[in-house]
Amino acid sequence: MTFVRNHLGLVLPLFAILFALEYLMVFERAVTRYEESLKDQYRVIVVADRSVKAADLRNVDVLVAEAEPVDPKQVLQKIRRRITPESLKKLQSVIPSFYLLGLRTYPGSHRLEKLKKELLALPGVKEVQIFKKRHDRLYGMLLFMKSNLYLFSLLIGWIALLLIVKQMYIWQLEHKERMQIMAYFGAPVWLRSGVLFRLAFVDAFLAWLLTAGLTIYAFNDPTILALLRQMHIDPAAIWSLEDFGRLALVGFAIAFASAFWVVFRFREES
Amino acid sequence: MSDVIAARNLKLAYPRHEPVIRDGSFRIHSKEFVFITGASGSGKSTLLKSLYGAMKPIGGELQVGGIDMMRINRSGLHKLRRHIGIVFQDYKLIREWTVEKNVMLPLIIAGFPKDVCRSQAAKLLNHVKLAHKADRYPMELSGGEQQRVALARALAHNPFLILADEPTGNLDEYSAQVVWELLERANQELETTVLVVTHRIPELFAADHRHLMIENGVVYDLR
Repeated sequence: MTFVRNHLGLVLPLFAILFALEYLMVFERAVTRYEESLKDQYRVIVVADRSVKAADLRNVDVLVAEAEPVDPKQVLQKIRRRITPESLKKLQSVIPSFYLLGLRTYPGSHRLEKLKKELLALPGVKEVQIFKKRHDRLYGMLLFMKSNLYLFSLLIGWIALLLIVKQMYIWQLEHKERMQIMAYFGAPVWLRSGVLFRLAFVDAFLAWLLTAGLTIYAFNDPTILALLRQMHIDPAAIWSLEDFGRLALVGFAIAFASAFWVVFRFREES
Repeated sequence: MSDVIAARNLKLAYPRHEPVIRDGSFRIHSKEFVFITGASGSGKSTLLKSLYGAMKPIGGELQVGGIDMMRINRSGLHKLRRHIGIVFQDYKLIREWTVEKNVMLPLIIAGFPKDVCRSQAAKLLNHVKLAHKADRYPMELSGGEQQRVALARALAHNPFLILADEPTGNLDEYSAQVVWELLERANQELETTVLVVTHRIPELFAADHRHLMIENGVVYDLR
């Protein structure tokens, strides 16, 4: 019971910080993947009354990654059965040129409008379809996800930091008398602070273990896996083993910084 | 006889306060047993604090064990304290540690092997007649017993000087008598210099020991 009481004070806030950090890293990768998939699926359609060079379309803006002409036969194929062969022949002679543009990133509305204007300024371009309504809905959703992610992590991190500061004051009260007595008998700093650093080490390790355990559990949970697949996100792509190293580094750094704070406060007072 | 403590025109003051000790000039020789008395608030404990480096003098000269306390640094202070035994009125035992481990504290700090620490602690606990309570925790002992543990701890590392601040202040008459006897034995058998701050010198010892008295910030040597 004493062990639990002694350790829970730092383990819980540390766990909250590490879990928020892991959540932040995983979710950020997921959002980036989602953004990439949006970008991959998104195309701008350019309609021109004469042939435009693909290179001209690519050079119009750095945002444009690729430009490819659409074969008119593909367009006519869809309406072939609904019109007479004569009409089809007439239509073939007047059909404009279509181009599909792939983008480097999934841009915001203003950026897209700018691109539209630049494309319309090209000679021969009559129409640019950016599917604004659908784009704005998806982009809004993306922004909402990103801002929620940062807000949530900031909130968890802030609360956890407050708890850690509180725990540091508790440590100071708990260990001050013992450290003072040891100092009266000439104990060097490392000896009288040994207990604190052992506590910090154990707490950081426990918090790391909890976070790692929960992360592994989450990435093996069928419900979470199904959810990720539904969003076209490969679980292997958003989780990295290196995360555990980063978490350990952060956990141990915070725990030892807390211990050092108590030690230096004691030095100042004495 | 060599000087264990040498003070000349010593001045002690708390920050932003008038000096508590305005003029402290005295010498304490090796193997002496000295009482420091004075009224409440006269600066007895303050003087003792300056001797173990918990308070830095603001003027004069002070040497403890040949070390200049005006110029001592943190590491020098640690080293000096490893050769001094301190006894406090409120015992200052580590609550989470057993009686045995408390006695072992100065030896642990000095870096002795565990078996040496244990055998020395056993010897001293036997000396203060508390060997049977070695595994107990301080809170399980009476005040008199706790002070005997504190005395055993102060003697554990064979210090050249024992500083005791009102060691019997919280004790009943019988326990106080036991503590005085133990301090006397430490002085006579182990030849340790003993300096005791007290508001009342026990009658039994009054005639045999040297007596310093603090009045109005001045240390008087009454011999």
